[in-house]
Amino acid sequence: MIFFFVLVVLVFLAQLLEIFLPPLDWMYNAHIYIVPVIVFYGAMALPFPLMLSLAFVAGFLWDAMTVQVLDAHVEISFGWSILLYAVLAAIMHGLKPLFNRGRWEVHCVLSGVCTALILLAQYLMISFRRGSLIFNREVWWQIGGPGLLAMLMAPLIFWALHWIARLTNNPYLPREEGFDEYAAR
Amino acid sequence: MNRSSIVAIVLFAAALLALFSMGPTATRKIQSTFFQVISPFLKTGSGLERQITSVRAGLKSLEVLERDNADLKVENRSLKATNEALRDVEHEVNRLRQALNYRERSLFRLVPAEIVSRDSSTWWRTVTINRGEEDGIAPEMPVLTDEGLVGRTTTVSPNISVVLLISDENCRVAASVEGSREQGIVTGERVTGSLSPMLDLNYLSKQAELKPGQKVYTSGVGGVFPSGLFVGTIRSFQVRALDSQAKLAPAVDLAKLEDVFVVIGRK
Repeated sequence: MIFFFVLVVLVFLAQLLEIFLPPLDWMYNAHIYIVPVIVFYGAMALPFPLMLSLAFVAGFLWDAMTVQVLDAHVEISFGWSILLYAVLAAIMHGLKPLFNRGRWEVHCVLSGVCTALILLAQYLMISFRRGSLIFNREVWWQIGGPGLLAMLMAPLIFWALHWIARLTNNPYLPREEGFDEYAAR
Repeated sequence: MNRSSIVAIVLFAAALLALFSMGPTATRKIQSTFFQVISPFLKTGSGLERQITSVRAGLKSLEVLERDNADLKVENRSLKATNEALRDVEHEVNRLRQALNYRERSLFRLVPAEIVSRDSSTWWRTVTINRGEEDGIAPEMPVLTDEGLVGRTTTVSPNISVVLLISDENCRVAASVEGSREQGIVTGERVTGSLSPMLDLNYLSKQAELKPGQKVYTSGVGGVFPSGLFVGTIRSFQVRALDSQAKLAPAVDLAKLEDVFVVIGRK
């Protein structure tokens, strides 16, 4: 439970940090997203109810930051990010046996893929709302770029979170041939 | 699936349904409260960001000076570094003096504000400013600088506000072209790879004959933006099947925004 609260605090801090990370102009203004990686680690290291709670917190913060209320309508309803996080985190949670066997690299790759999927889903919702679908180089980079960056950041963030999980005696860590044993090999 | 998971799913679904059924007013209220909670972090973070940027800019200048003046003595370099620091101060003084002058000669009642964060999401072009309800700001108020139009406020909390930039596709501005009877709607592009994107002036008549260099101003139609605010300059113009479209360079360099004014009424 302590580890869950640590993750909630980290999600909040990461959300604030993301505000001050400038978009990367060499990557067609792709943004850096850290929160999804933390949530997806939580999906592996927490039991299902806490995983859902973490997805709720992360999606709530994202929507509170970004949802646009224009005149008398909300462009994408508050709550969609929560649903996206929950669905993708549930998929990651379903792959927990792999993580327990030490195959954490699959989850690093999936963290990137899922980060890109969240952005793709948001873009599709905006496009349907605004009435035209445009896919050009910039769009692909702004969807795929953050995914790629999340994939690259994931091993480091996973390692740090795993260390914190051990420090806080998280009881849901893999028992047999876990992350550490695999990393040591 | 155990009982606790089922309970969690039911609670999660109920909370999600409650959020989905919220209207714009409730959504704005939640956002306003959220921004109020994080405002100390935003303001502190913004201050730190400025300091870091200033230090980095200073270091860059030193590097250039060192390369160009490798034969200069240490004393000379130290003097140049001091000069550089003073230039930063001078720049800030000039910036504030210019802002003050504009506020005094403007026809509008303006609230000066500082940008505390920018573009925190991929799909919306927004900035956050350090003024809110307590300063008389409300949603749907125009935001500008002495150079021209910047955007409009959307979510407003007691001492922080979100500004939807003119470069966002949702920020539609009724505009007219200088030296012609043409009127259209200025919008931003949905996705852009640049921090200073071009704007589109749509719904111009098919007979329009516009030239690069012509200036575009707000027409006052729609009620949010008063007429006569400089929006941008035409860069290119094309006739389409049913109408014409012009591409504009924004009047304000949105990538370098530091200070803005919120129009809270007329004098």
